Amino acid sequence: MGPVKKPRRLGRWVLFVIMMFVAVIMLYPFWVMIYTSLKSEGQFLAGSGFSWVSWSSLSSVIPIGQEVLSSTIVCASSILLILIVGLPAGFAFSKLRFRMSTGIFLVMVSAMMVPLQAILMTEYVNVSRLHLTGGYTAAVLVYASLGTPFSVFLFSTYFRGVPDELIEAGIVDGLGYFGVLWRLVVPIALPAIATVTVLQFIQIWDDLLVGLFFIQNTSDRPITVGLAVLAAGRTTSIPELMAGSIISALPAMLVYVGFQRYLVKGLTMGIDR
Amino acid sequence: MATISVNAPKARRLTLKRRRQLAGVVFALPAIALVICFIGIPIGQDVYYSFTQWDGQTATWIGVSTWSQAFHNPNLWTALRNNGLLLLSVPFALGLPLCIAVLLHQRVAGWRIFRTIYFLPTAISWVVLGLVAERFFAYQGTLNSIIHALGFSHFSTNLLGYQSEALFALGITFIFTMIGTNTMLFLTGLATLDPSLEEAARIDGAGRWRIFRNITLPHLSRFIQLAFVMTVIALFSALFSLIFVMTGGGPGYATTTVEYLIYQTGFNQGDFGTAALYGLILFVITGIVGIVQLRLIGSNE
Amino acid sequence: MADITFDGVTKIFADQIRAVDELSLHVADGEFMVLVGPSGCGKTTALRMLAGLEDITSGTLSIGGAVVNNVLPKDRDVAMVFQNYALYPHMTVAQNMGFALKIRGHSKSEVATKVHEAATILRLTDYLDRRPKALSGGQRQRVAMGRAIVRSPQAFLMDEPLSNLDAQLRVEMRLEIARIQRLLGVATVYVTHDQIEAMTMGDRVAVMRGGKLQQVATPQDLYDHPDNDFVAGFVGSPPMNLLRAELESAGDGLRVVLGAQHLEVPASYLSSHDLPNAEGPGVVLGIRPEDVEVLSGDAMGTLTTRVERREALGAEILVHLSLVEAKDTTTFVVNDEGTLVVRPSTLVAKMGPRAGVAVGDQLNVRFNVEHLHFFDATSGMSLRKRFQ
Repeated sequence: MGPVKKPRRLGRWVLFVIMMFVAVIMLYPFWVMIYTSLKSEGQFLAGSGFSWVSWSSLSSVIPIGQEVLSSTIVCASSILLILIVGLPAGFAFSKLRFRMSTGIFLVMVSAMMVPLQAILMTEYVNVSRLHLTGGYTAAVLVYASLGTPFSVFLFSTYFRGVPDELIEAGIVDGLGYFGVLWRLVVPIALPAIATVTVLQFIQIWDDLLVGLFFIQNTSDRPITVGLAVLAAGRTTSIPELMAGSIISALPAMLVYVGFQRYLVKGLTMGIDR
Repeated sequence: MATISVNAPKARRLTLKRRRQLAGVVFALPAIALVICFIGIPIGQDVYYSFTQWDGQTATWIGVSTWSQAFHNPNLWTALRNNGLLLLSVPFALGLPLCIAVLLHQRVAGWRIFRTIYFLPTAISWVVLGLVAERFFAYQGTLNSIIHALGFSHFSTNLLGYQSEALFALGITFIFTMIGTNTMLFLTGLATLDPSLEEAARIDGAGRWRIFRNITLPHLSRFIQLAFVMTVIALFSALFSLIFVMTGGGPGYATTTVEYLIYQTGFNQGDFGTAALYGLILFVITGIVGIVQLRLIGSNE
Repeated sequence: MADITFDGVTKIFADQIRAVDELSLHVADGEFMVLVGPSGCGKTTALRMLAGLEDITSGTLSIGGAVVNNVLPKDRDVAMVFQNYALYPHMTVAQNMGFALKIRGHSKSEVATKVHEAATILRLTDYLDRRPKALSGGQRQRVAMGRAIVRSPQAFLMDEPLSNLDAQLRVEMRLEIARIQRLLGVATVYVTHDQIEAMTMGDRVAVMRGGKLQQVATPQDLYDHPDNDFVAGFVGSPPMNLLRAELESAGDGLRVVLGAQHLEVPASYLSSHDLPNAEGPGVVLGIRPEDVEVLSGDAMGTLTTRVERREALGAEILVHLSLVEAKDTTTFVVNDEGTLVVRPSTLVAKMGPRAGVAVGDQLNVRFNVEHLHFFDATSGMSLRKRFQ
């Protein structure tokens, strides 16, 4: 298990207390959100009270169901695209050496460092010119392109750990390289896939900018945009806002908790060669 | 195939190596194309548009005047200064999670639950965290209530009302948001450390601090590198949401960073050309930080 | 059913390294051919070229009479057993073994039958539903073999399949593999660095060094008539003693100078070997440890030695001897990880398990003159006269 420690009970108790303290701090936002959401607006302004009314009136203020659905569609599509594009590329850069592949790989990985804002304007203009602004298409493409460098990096590092012999066995058995990828490499890449999925899910679900700019139809809005609009509004009820925030935070939390095991395994494989 | 002699022209040689290389190119192409189209080309366009007067529809070439105007604009320098100041929070955004990860690594009772708890805030959107933080730091907010309750009334602050304090509040919030991911990253790194290395050092007589410095830290350097890169990227992009919700860039331009400035210049003022230039500047800064980081913490490529 | 022919096959890697140099070798249909040699000798590269995993720089490679230089692995109909088994971790034993057939479109029942057949031969029938990680090393190795057998290929290729097993398992598996190969009668090329495996398993053994083929012959032939000093010192354990010595005249014949002592060269060798004359560069004299007889008393034609070390192996005792008054001047040709070097060393002899010898004892030894080997001092080639 963990490193051997001399049984210093006092030491461990102190540690425990510190951890609790940190935990309290980390849980503070949740506490605020829950506490605040369980009030009506009036009660909130007054400073005390308890009511479910903010929760029930939430859906009349913003189309929360619709927005959650939009977020889900965008997330799922983007992640799917990232995997479809990233897995073969990761395999190619790690196992299928071709001319200039190292150089291209470095350039791609350094694309990780491009902040969205740096290309936001031009991206937006390009997308409008190509008439992609209807629906989710533009957002999905932008999310996918932003997430691809990191995913390719993670996959390729992970695949480097796959023994060459395994691939050669597949080839001698009769597979072509696509077969090797699809039947041999991807099945054993599940931890890496889970890692990428979790990290990208959290990033995309919680993202504001791309949704704000690249999804024009208000009916297609993801939840983060909906909340931001609500927050910027004059007549916003803070409790309602908090209720909406909790709903927004739930999916990401669930995905994280569900995939936790894979996340650690995948990150380990991804970094530690 | 039996009749093909060794001297067949090279073009027709369907060797395994050729096949492999072909597969490599074909497999990598979609990713490369996607990145070029949606990241590479826009950067190039930034360069072009930065020389123009652009309202989003028509771009008129005006040469370097955009550049000179921009560099004479005090707001740009304020924004750059703010980015720079915020960079100071990065050591904390790395150091704190490192300490927490080390503590978690000691495997105190219930550490798994603690680990989950520490990562949970990551799941919350920055927009929401910004809202919570805004309420915390506001004049009538929670922080002041605590201060009042503890009796330090005359220390009450108006963090979001004063320029330097607002930036400070922003920094604190940023550090908070990065704790989750970085702790997870460092914890993973610690988990991959071979315990026998530590034991060998202990037998050799090394104290705890020395073990940490000479064994743990070097092993973690790759993780620290990755955490550094991710933190800086977040600082230059995701921070936008915090600013948007907490301060709107203000008071004045006190919390405007370059990425927020881009938004303002482009969408609020309609000056896309300058916004493109700012975008370019942002990209260059990020690139510089990335390269510096490679030299400082060590390279792994 | 096919034979394999390497004809002047050469492999040069990108950095100008000649991994395989003009290899010409024929493996008959059904023959078990072992490629053996120190690491870096090119045996694995040769095997990989045969599999199609490495390109051939020049020369011709044929399987079953057809030139396969540019044929993809999957079209060569060869099966390979890898050193680390390379089992597909996400598939069961049955799926691993049936995989190649499945992707070639064989029907499910056909695949099941063949897998079952192979599993029976390899005694894996109880493990068909397990995943590789639930298997022991020996079981995994058998699955790797099963995967190859199921395909009924034209040839089996094996890349050091036993090197990851513990000693006892290795002995068991040696017999297994040999048995199965004889049963199936398919041409097999087996690569190993272990000369014991080579000797016990191969119909013929090809010794390689530095990319070049040194000699190919049956194990016994290799042992009794090595073509050069490398092969002589490589095959057989403990290795043959190779003494570097001068020759001088002795009446009508020659004798070998060993410090202050001499060894008469029997007349038969003068006619059967091309020995250099007395003023020449000398020779390398080879004598196997079991041909060095330790005598109780003094007799004609013995050499006086001193025991430097002894190793008790249970069934026998190995004594390491130095020639009296010539300890530092008697030089041996010693195999230092694939390179032959000349330096002072000791003569190794075998003695019975209960022989009472101690370090420092003086012993008289006699070489069995029926089994002397002579090699050229410069090139290392055997000085035996070859008859066309």
